[in-house]
Amino acid sequence: MNMRRTVLTLAVLLLAWNAPAQDEITIRIKEGMPMIPVALPAFQINDAAVQKGNIPATIYETLWKDLEFSRIFKMVPREHYAYIPAFNPGSIRFKDWASLQANILISGQLEITADDRLIFSFKVYEVASERFIFGRNFGGKKDLARLIAHKAADELLKHFGEKPLFTSKIVYISESGNDRDVYIMDYDGHRPTRITFSSALDMLPSWSADNEKILYTSYRNLSPELFMFNIYSGKTELISSGGSNYAADWSPVGDRIVYTSSKHGNAEIYLKDMKTGQEKRLTFNPAIDTSPCWSPSGREIAFTSQRGGTPQIYIMDSEGSNIRRITMEGTYHDSPAWSPDGMRLAFVSRIENRFDIYIYNLKSNEISKLTENAGRNENPSWSPDGRHLAFSSNRGGRYQIYLVDYDGRNVQPITAAGENKMPKWQKSTK
Amino acid sequence: MKKWMLLVVAVSLVLMFSACGKKAAQVAPVQEPVVEKVEEPVAQVEKPVLSEEELFQQKSLEELNRDQILKRINFDFDKYEIRDDMKAILQANANWLLKFPSVEVLIEGHCDERGTIEYNIALGEKRAEAARNYLASLGLNAAKVKIISYGKSKPLIPGVDEASYFQNRRAEFVITKK
Repeated sequence: MNMRRTVLTLAVLLLAWNAPAQDEITIRIKEGMPMIPVALPAFQINDAAVQKGNIPATIYETLWKDLEFSRIFKMVPREHYAYIPAFNPGSIRFKDWASLQANILISGQLEITADDRLIFSFKVYEVASERFIFGRNFGGKKDLARLIAHKAADELLKHFGEKPLFTSKIVYISESGNDRDVYIMDYDGHRPTRITFSSALDMLPSWSADNEKILYTSYRNLSPELFMFNIYSGKTELISSGGSNYAADWSPVGDRIVYTSSKHGNAEIYLKDMKTGQEKRLTFNPAIDTSPCWSPSGREIAFTSQRGGTPQIYIMDSEGSNIRRITMEGTYHDSPAWSPDGMRLAFVSRIENRFDIYIYNLKSNEISKLTENAGRNENPSWSPDGRHLAFSSNRGGRYQIYLVDYDGRNVQPITAAGENKMPKWQKSTK
Repeated sequence: MKKWMLLVVAVSLVLMFSACGKKAAQVAPVQEPVVEKVEEPVAQVEKPVLSEEELFQQKSLEELNRDQILKRINFDFDKYEIRDDMKAILQANANWLLKFPSVEVLIEGHCDERGTIEYNIALGEKRAEAARNYLASLGLNAAKVKIISYGKSKPLIPGVDEASYFQNRRAEFVITKK
């Protein structure tokens, strides 16, 4: 943690409540910190914006939902705003907002220009000190209303020492009819974009570390091969073929990937340097080895192996050495996903034909259950800030993608049409 | 096939007449034109008995696969070992393949839905490989047998009971070249 971040963290803590002993700070800020109450009165909008009522509403609601989702902020209910005089950005009555228990007050202003562009500006105030903290302006085309709101919400996160989250994206597989293709959507399920167009089966997509490329498996050449699609150039490259090639994960450090391949007969884990193209086999076991995933430091790899008779989660060093078993109970675990703070592994366990997602704390060795007996829950993937996970579940009939907080709260579907699964959240945002 | 179609025709005729009967009782008797059903004489066409070789020559790849000349085998839950009761099927498949050495075959490994996507790809592959190894042990040239795994992405039937799962845990033998 750098100095700037430490200072910011301290600032947040001081703002929220009396800071505890310093060595507890890192943990406290992640979990169990009181949420900061935020008030978001209706925006001031110009005449052109009034006429396009849905755009101001879209920005307002998107910003509200983002902040509510964050687990950093807590929204002061809007019904309460009626108890105090209407918000006037010209002369803010902070005492009124303090009486509603708001710590942070956001004043938003939206203009739609003559050439149909949006200009959104917002100012952030601290209620207790009656002080202006910071402000930002965003401009863009009309159809970018949601993105503008996400960017505004990210600015607030950044101000409180957090990494941006609301502009992050999820890659996934969507199925309609016989097609199963790769799609990308916003973290909240909006603005889905299709990126592969083959009539063959595509599966298990994941992000490159720079978020510019998508690794995925496709049966387009009648065998499961690993491809890389560059979102910006539109080019597709074959990465690995022969046998089955799947479950690729790009290292957060260095240009290298790990993936499963049976190119030499048996499902083993391979490491590939994406700059030199050099490949190295990491596992040497007649059992099934699959589902590799990097630790955030890039020094270790979690994976699934059936070497003990049943599929269990193991960790090895990134050279393939020092293999140790993590799951000791149960007979079926797979799909490990390492949390961005490096402390937790999420994975899927099958117990009596129920598939649920569990979180294993690598420091305390405690296991907690994240989903509860509702359909089949699979393919967990952490949000960049480690406070949320995406997963797929057939609890509502067909498979859809859901989000859940790290403590099992706020489960919500973010897809509804067709069938959607295998979500992978970006590991980081710019 | 023919018998089955006749049955359908018969049943629909019965339904039609009973519906007409009800209508006649309730509504004014409008005389509808009577469609005369001509019963087709059930022709007993003597099909020439073809030998296995002639059948093989006559049928296209699609037809051979559709008729399941090579039968699929099933597996136990989570397992990829060949079941004892599937060995006779593999023996029959091997016998047929040995008779037609020009044939190339692709073994597809499949799983039921009670597994993760990633692990099931590996499991399906192990099943296809076990089938290939067994054929090889019966004298087949393994180089002519390719394998592929679809994991759980192509279930045979949609059911969620053990009987359906059993059908879905399978290896299929697809003839790719005659």
